[in-house]
Amino acid sequence: MRSGVLGGSILMGGVVLAWGISLLTHYDVVSDVNIRQASNLPSAVHLLGCDHLGRDVGWRLITASRAIVGPGLLACAMALLLGVAGGAFSGWYGGWVAESIRYLFTVVSAIPRFVLVLLVCSIYGSTVWNIALASALAYTPAMAESIYNRIAAFRVAEFVLAAEAHGVHPRRILWFHLLWVNCRHLVGRHLFTLFAYFLLVETTLSFIGGFGVVEPVPSWGNMIAFEWGIRDGNPWATIAPALSIWGVILACALLVEGLREDDHA
Amino acid sequence: MANDEVASRLAAGLRALARPCAAFAATLVGAIFLAQFLLWLAPGDAADVVADTPKLREALVREWGLDQSLFKRTWLFLGHALTGDLGLSLTYRPGAAVTDLVAPAAVRSGVLLVGALVTSLVAGVGLAFVTAGRKSLARRLVQVFSVVPVFLMAYMLMVVLNETTFSLMESGTLARPDWFALPDQDSHLKTGLAIVVLAFGSSALTEIHVASEQELQRIRRAPFLDAARARGARLAPHLIWNLVPPLTTLASNRAAFFLGGLIIVEKVLHLNGVGAMLWQACRLRDYPLALGITVVAAGVVCGARLAGDLVRVAVDPRLRARA
Repeated sequence: MRSGVLGGSILMGGVVLAWGISLLTHYDVVSDVNIRQASNLPSAVHLLGCDHLGRDVGWRLITASRAIVGPGLLACAMALLLGVAGGAFSGWYGGWVAESIRYLFTVVSAIPRFVLVLLVCSIYGSTVWNIALASALAYTPAMAESIYNRIAAFRVAEFVLAAEAHGVHPRRILWFHLLWVNCRHLVGRHLFTLFAYFLLVETTLSFIGGFGVVEPVPSWGNMIAFEWGIRDGNPWATIAPALSIWGVILACALLVEGLREDDHA
Repeated sequence: MANDEVASRLAAGLRALARPCAAFAATLVGAIFLAQFLLWLAPGDAADVVADTPKLREALVREWGLDQSLFKRTWLFLGHALTGDLGLSLTYRPGAAVTDLVAPAAVRSGVLLVGALVTSLVAGVGLAFVTAGRKSLARRLVQVFSVVPVFLMAYMLMVVLNETTFSLMESGTLARPDWFALPDQDSHLKTGLAIVVLAFGSSALTEIHVASEQELQRIRRAPFLDAARARGARLAPHLIWNLVPPLTTLASNRAAFFLGGLIIVEKVLHLNGVGAMLWQACRLRDYPLALGITVVAAGVVCGARLAGDLVRVAVDPRLRARA
């Protein structure tokens, strides 16, 4: 299993590296069109060949990571803020306030995640940032509920009662003893799952069209859709983004599994 | 005496059911309020989408209650929804009743939803019986293939099916089948493809498989199974009966996930269901239709949770005793 975690880390590292490269270099998504190179197969100049407009598939693949990593991190940050705060607060304090918070999360989770994302995109526009915030909003209830369950179970555990008897400040018990020591793997698992979920939503919306990233700006989803139905095209123009999507989601799944095994709470 | 016992059992059963039923109603009302809240926050309003004159806009605002407060609007919507009136479509089919549009499409999508749910449960639980408690390559293979997103799996299946058929037709091995190139009309082949993709893609199979494995192992370690083993009784009925409550929870949770997946498979495979309709409604900013479908989807999710709770109460006597 350690090899799975290692593989997952390398794949995730690759995506973050691609994101870093795309931020440091300026790839012009419009001026790269060159019909004379249309559907060229991989070569020393174009490592993954060109699409049917003659654009470099490798560069577009790297540039497309911008649509995933930054917004994906934003989604994770938002879910971390809402999910951890909501789950920890309701698990620790209990009572009607906790029940009200849990009711809010139950209501949000009653609307299927993808439906909620689509509704938000329709109302507020389908920028990747909106997709990220909507994905985070849709995913937060699952995260908050698991944190609630764990905190509520540990609230009356002997080590918590002992810490309270020793005069440890409740805030330290909650944030350090419970959240950091006993919930960090759980939170990590949810963050990787959310990242994979956001990637899934973003690429799906961009693939189907009408929402998400729109051509000529690249996304792994619209890169696949753009080559759909092209006969005798460069197969890598479709295979490379498809493998990227699959690889990153698999990496997240492997990391989630690794964190589950490390979670002794 | 016997009547008293029946009455007390019935009362316990009803008490156990009261909480899930109340949760169902409260969650559904909350989901409707949330959808209305999202629309209320939107820049402009639904009338802006169709009204081209200020007079018409004013009339529409009055008719749709857009000048009312959020709570009043939700209350009015709820009142109409209870009578089966979800409003009128604005741009998808202008003037058509949302209920008339959604009902036939929901039946088609329901087939996909139930089919995917049953397929994934049968496949996931079946695999779990084989792999639980063992080091298995099958588990890893399921994980590796099941993480493929629904849209990508549907796309790959279509490409492989079309390309293979085309080469067979070119070589003269096969006459052109009527489903070739998967035309826009619904067909059994496309329905089957959609069910398979929904049931296996986006980690659906992995999650059901892993959860079933964990439950199976938990039950296999349970003392009541040791007792049954010691008595020489058959273990399968105990295993299966005790798997029902966790599987019901799993299935009711997966319903929400499959509802999201429906939108994707229906769009990719050109199936006319409620998912494709929601996509189109969102693109055309047909808010009443989008809202109506969202409410129906929330109703299905809440209904699945309620059904799960009812099955658990029926199967597990401890839940009835606790109530």
